Amino acid sequence: MICLLTFIVFGVLGIFSASHRELAKEAFQCVFRRTTFRKCDSGTDIKVKGKIVGTLMKKSPKSAKIVHNHFEFISWIFTILFLVSLVYSGFSAYNLIVHDNCVGPDADPEQCIFTPSETVVDCGDPLCDDEGHCQECGDDCDCNDCE
Amino acid sequence: MNTEKIRQDFPILKKGIYLDTACMSLKPTQVINKINEYYNEYPSCGGRSIHKLGMKVDKEVTEARNQIKKFIGAKDSKQIIFTKNATEAINLVANSFKFNKVLTTDREHNSNLLPWQEKNHEVIKSKEDFTFDLELFQEKVKDFDLISFVHTSNLDGYTLPIKEIIKIAHENNTKVFLDAAQSIPHKEINVKKLDIDFLAFSGHKMLGPTGTGVLYAKEELLNEMKPFIKGGETVYDSTYTEHKIEKLPAKFEAGLQNYAGIIGLGEAAKYLKKIGMEDIKDHEIKLVKAIDTEGIKKVGYNGERGIFNFIIPNLNAHEIASILNSSKDIMIRSGMHCVHSWYNANKIEPSARASFYIYNTMEEVKILNEELEKIKRMVN
Repeated sequence: MICLLTFIVFGVLGIFSASHRELAKEAFQCVFRRTTFRKCDSGTDIKVKGKIVGTLMKKSPKSAKIVHNHFEFISWIFTILFLVSLVYSGFSAYNLIVHDNCVGPDADPEQCIFTPSETVVDCGDPLCDDEGHCQECGDDCDCNDCE
Repeated sequence: MNTEKIRQDFPILKKGIYLDTACMSLKPTQVINKINEYYNEYPSCGGRSIHKLGMKVDKEVTEARNQIKKFIGAKDSKQIIFTKNATEAINLVANSFKFNKVLTTDREHNSNLLPWQEKNHEVIKSKEDFTFDLELFQEKVKDFDLISFVHTSNLDGYTLPIKEIIKIAHENNTKVFLDAAQSIPHKEINVKKLDIDFLAFSGHKMLGPTGTGVLYAKEELLNEMKPFIKGGETVYDSTYTEHKIEKLPAKFEAGLQNYAGIIGLGEAAKYLKKIGMEDIKDHEIKLVKAIDTEGIKKVGYNGERGIFNFIIPNLNAHEIASILNSSKDIMIRSGMHCVHSWYNANKIEPSARASFYIYNTMEEVKILNEELEKIKRMVN
């Protein structure tokens, strides 16, 4: 299922480059055939597999053998991981736009390393003073009392 | 033949191991410089303008035509027609000459099969060992007025017994068209001695530039043919309703030509003649013999040849090519090599093809063997 990753990568590159658009079209044909339970006939999957295996063969023929023999399984894992991270990135982007942080409306601002409107100092334990306040805080600091 | 000295003329060789000459040969600096010379010093029209640049173009094109004439042993330069490639040369004859029945072999490149398919066309099958069936040919030839055969097959490097074929054909009043795209760069061909009627080849397979090719034919046959493409330079006069066709070779060279390419092609022919064609074939055969074929299935003819066509069981041919390219910059071809008809008829999967030429070395074959060995271990 490497074609799906290839399609997305070349699809994005194809916004800027005509040659990548052709590769994206090939990858799309492959994705379409695979999702309709047919063998890919554009050759995209084979070219990508060959490139990966060939590059690995330079460093480690044993790894190349493993990747070659289990390529379909490995590419499914990466495809699923990619889709899952895409979904989570989508949620985070939505939260950032709507709630000004990546976690959601009930988020503890300290959980989020970066929020565009505020700068929060990460108050880890070593940074708390005797009274439970963040030592690093200056006038601009907005951190809560340390636990 | 001094391969190391030849390799110095091909700086591109530092980019990897090039084993795809059957598709396109590399170009020596001499040919590249000659092309650049045209564009830098006399980028003008030939055959039309009488200023100094135009006359320089005429002189160089005439010289290139003369080089090709000497290269193939033709009688006269006007028998040399410049085309875009062998495909165009074959199509020119197919569309300009009336043939009643045409015979081709069963291992033709699409360029020497498709133009004939719309004519009354038949195919002669090879023997079981993929060699040419001379006895069957002797029986069939009298029914045909043209045979159009590939001289050396790009599929597996097999070379037809052309002397015998031409002799039998002419005894039966059958004309012979030779697709010499894969043979001309690798061995000496003398069209006069062989008494060939038509011959086509591409410049890009013989160290020449892309967009160049040659049609050679006997003068009386060229005079019989009507131009397939008409335009500038094919006529010496015209009115609104008629025109007067030019003499050879201009009759078949319509429009402004690829002067840089033609001049480069002339230089390529000169370069090959200087090396000497006798040693090239032996060099390639030696390299192919050195390939370790254990665990590899050979495709097609298995005798002496300069092309190695193969399949590794349980591995797609495109993957073989991709792996070789990524692991050690070894450049081979994969697929059906434009001979789809043969693969379909023999029910063979697409294969990988390594083709050798003057700039390939035993060291490169050694590296190929090592990588093929790694691939075989990976698959098994």
